[in-house]
Amino acid sequence: MAKYTVKRLLQSLVTVLVIATIVFLLMRMLPTDYYFTEDQVMKLTEEQKNDQLMAAGMLDPIGEQLLRFYGQIIRLDFGTSRRIQNGQPVVAVIGSKFTVSMRMGLISMAFSLVLGVALGILQTRNKDHLLDHVGAGYTILVNAVPSLVSYSLVLVVGSKVFGLPSLYSTRNVGESSILPIICISLSSVAYYALWTRRYMVDELNKDYIKLARIKGMATKDIMVKHVLKNAFVPLIQYIPTSLLLTISGSLLAERFFSVPGMGPLLTDAITRYDLNVVQTLVILYASLGIIGVFLGDVAMMILDPRIKLVDKGGTR
Amino acid sequence: MRKKAAKVAALALAAAMVLSACGGGSSSSGSGDGGASGGAASGSENAGSGDNASSSGVGEASHAITDLVTYESQNNEQEGFLMQNTEKSADLNVLCNVYSPLLEVNNKGQLVPAVATEWGTDDGGLTWTFKLRDDVKWVDYNGNVMADCTAQDWITGLEWVMNFHKNGSNNTSMPSALIAGADDYLQYTKGLSPEEAMSMDNTKFLEMVGIEAPDDYTLIYHCTQNAPYFDTVCTSACLYPLSQALVDTLGVENMVGMTNEQMWCNGAYIEKEYINSNSKTLVPNPEYWDKDAQRFDSVTIRITDATQAYQLFENGEIDHVSLDESTLRAIYDDEGHKYHNNLAEMRPRKYSYQMHLNYSKNNEDGTPDDNWNKAVANEAFRLAWYYGLDLTDYWARYNFIYPLHCENLAYTMKGLLYFSDGTDYADRVVEKLGVPASDGETPRRLNQELFEKYKAQAMEELAAEGVTFPVEADAYIAANSQTALDTYNVLKQIFSESLGDDFVTLNIGTYVSSLSQEVIVPRKQSFQINGWGADYGDPANFVDQERYGYDGAYYAKNYSNINDATDEDLIATYKEFSEMAEKAGEICDDMDARYDAYVDAEVFMLQHALVIPCYYDVSWELTKINDYTKMYAMYGAQNYTYKNWETSVDAYTTEQYDAFKAAAGE
Repeated sequence: MAKYTVKRLLQSLVTVLVIATIVFLLMRMLPTDYYFTEDQVMKLTEEQKNDQLMAAGMLDPIGEQLLRFYGQIIRLDFGTSRRIQNGQPVVAVIGSKFTVSMRMGLISMAFSLVLGVALGILQTRNKDHLLDHVGAGYTILVNAVPSLVSYSLVLVVGSKVFGLPSLYSTRNVGESSILPIICISLSSVAYYALWTRRYMVDELNKDYIKLARIKGMATKDIMVKHVLKNAFVPLIQYIPTSLLLTISGSLLAERFFSVPGMGPLLTDAITRYDLNVVQTLVILYASLGIIGVFLGDVAMMILDPRIKLVDKGGTR
Repeated sequence: MRKKAAKVAALALAAAMVLSACGGGSSSSGSGDGGASGGAASGSENAGSGDNASSSGVGEASHAITDLVTYESQNNEQEGFLMQNTEKSADLNVLCNVYSPLLEVNNKGQLVPAVATEWGTDDGGLTWTFKLRDDVKWVDYNGNVMADCTAQDWITGLEWVMNFHKNGSNNTSMPSALIAGADDYLQYTKGLSPEEAMSMDNTKFLEMVGIEAPDDYTLIYHCTQNAPYFDTVCTSACLYPLSQALVDTLGVENMVGMTNEQMWCNGAYIEKEYINSNSKTLVPNPEYWDKDAQRFDSVTIRITDATQAYQLFENGEIDHVSLDESTLRAIYDDEGHKYHNNLAEMRPRKYSYQMHLNYSKNNEDGTPDDNWNKAVANEAFRLAWYYGLDLTDYWARYNFIYPLHCENLAYTMKGLLYFSDGTDYADRVVEKLGVPASDGETPRRLNQELFEKYKAQAMEELAAEGVTFPVEADAYIAANSQTALDTYNVLKQIFSESLGDDFVTLNIGTYVSSLSQEVIVPRKQSFQINGWGADYGDPANFVDQERYGYDGAYYAKNYSNINDATDEDLIATYKEFSEMAEKAGEICDDMDARYDAYVDAEVFMLQHALVIPCYYDVSWELTKINDYTKMYAMYGAQNYTYKNWETSVDAYTTEQYDAFKAAAGE
């Protein structure tokens, strides 16, 4: 296990470095005019633009810039933001946002897991009956209706019927978080319900379940000890990644409810050419994704001892 | 137990279904992408104004709302706290509340004393002296007095602006052009290493630049040329103060990245809270020098999607909302609508929109678009547009109730300048153009007879030059903006109906993320409709933007590309206009004569349709704020200062707003 962990860690480091390098090079391939605002592009003379680019090191040879970038990564110096929050260290910019996203994401995930898995179980228990159809209808609806439409209607119902705040407020975190959390959870409830049902139905059709029934094992025991446990193995693989990536927030829901989280940060940073923020976020998300996959593998192995990560044929 | 669990699960499912099933309903309100979006709104958080209001009645001339909430759209988030370092309106709209300038403007757009109590020039605008108040303090985030605000702070502020390594090139254009030695200092600091430049105090700066402080409360600027309008520049970010004591405390290297908790203020408010992408809160500065000013107990600026603003207003969470066309129509057309009698027409925003023709257009592949370039160089072709385009439906996109209120006939924004007899500069331009009086129904510039004459003339002359008809005109919009597409489809229809499909065809192109980089720099547009808001109060700031062969001409350089045109007649016309403008700028001893000369230049430019005036941004809103009590300058950075605003507990009625407008003489 230790050997496997070290091997995966080294692979992960290389992967993160490759991803960071690709992003770095892609951002540098954009015309340098993207460094400036719309106004600046037209107001500044070519000489003024060059002066600013030179002062920022943007005109240095690309190899030199790349080495400088690697040096910064090694020193864990991610630089300062130049557009999102001008002059602020990137770590501070991200630090002020990730706790908001993570808190909201964790609550939403807990809510979704409980509700989604329960719904999946209910659907399985009532396969081809009313509850199953209702669950399927919900899943289809959530996936078919554009998120912005669902969010708008949640907002209308939430604010007009229940009097909940329409926008997130730091002075009223509890109440103002309800609508964004519901919106973030809508699709993940459907996701967990869909896959729980699907894996449980798969398990129910297997021979060992039939054998258990023939041997007179109680249905409840069959469902909990065998079906749910085995059905949960493929699901649990994604849970660590989902947990870790709660940090990244939800782009649409956070924008919609003005939640000061991480959701819109990466797209904002890209469109505003805030290089340091883009690079830091990419490294962060890549690292979390890789760690999440690793933890997912481990969790799967713990839940199902038949899965081996190191033996031949046991690794994924 | 099992049944109970099933019931709980079923209930949860039902709840989720209710929420989700809502998704099948009608779509949300339309985008506020157009002219009606953005801007500021006000209200009181969550509970509406009722929670925070005094007992004053509806429409009572009072400061009824005590805790104000304004909003900005999500792409208008504040990025920094150092006034000198930003040119972005989203920053300036907040920072104008926390920093006090030398001079302010009132609700009529006139300059009034702020930190400077007296000011003037004795030599036609070459030297300007300002006498400062002695009771202005810098306070920290908690309102503690940190230092006196003196003339030295204006010197520190300007040094910061002109020091390349401290401030990039932000806000340098006006001081470079106007203040003696400022540009030399900028070039000097460029030549230094970052470390050298960052460590500079004011000694070298004072040697090189025309600014001095004979004592703590007297400030003198020496201009590069006679600048009779220099006092209006004092309302711009480049001439704001910066506390030397704060720089010493934080360190030069930390100034650009300072937070709201580190900044010192000398303005009406302190920025008490800043939550990126969510909100900002201002509270009154206890040491503010203007003790008589009416201020709110708090002002909160929320960041929100413009499409949600109407609903927020309806919920009582904000007290002001700019209305997009569809929402406006829904309220206006329904006499029973609860807001039907509360529709308020906004004062024109400070931008004068023009149709800027491109005289050196390229095709998509980068080759010159000869057909267009020949056509647009022909004066009859341009005049056919000038007299023939009926833009009523285009204006209706912004103001369908009174589209003619958007009609723009001049180039310079109305309200920017007045002659000594009180005549508005823009009105004088219109008068000299000989535009007929309004009949309240048709655009004043529209002239079918002249249009047909010039169209026939243009087609004959251009056909002889080998131009093919219809001439293809390309205009570009953001690819992701349905509102822009709707607006330009209206414009396309206008071109077809007004000019005829045999004459001109309008093609609508799109750009992905950057108008300047994808369209303007490669010169792909035939024309671009763009609004100009003045930096300072002089016609030069408008008219000079079009001058031929002039380095400071923003539009000539970026939009008309006239300096690269080849048609001799066109160049001769432009040169004549440019000479008129240049000569007007040389008149510094008699402002009426100066303005008159600029009027002549502007009239000449319009009579030759070098640029075609397009519209004023006059849209509609629901509001509890009397806009006519706000600072209302056509230049500078102060219109969002939350000072002396009159408000009402409930939304003002249309009738009340009409009365405000009449009282303001508009």
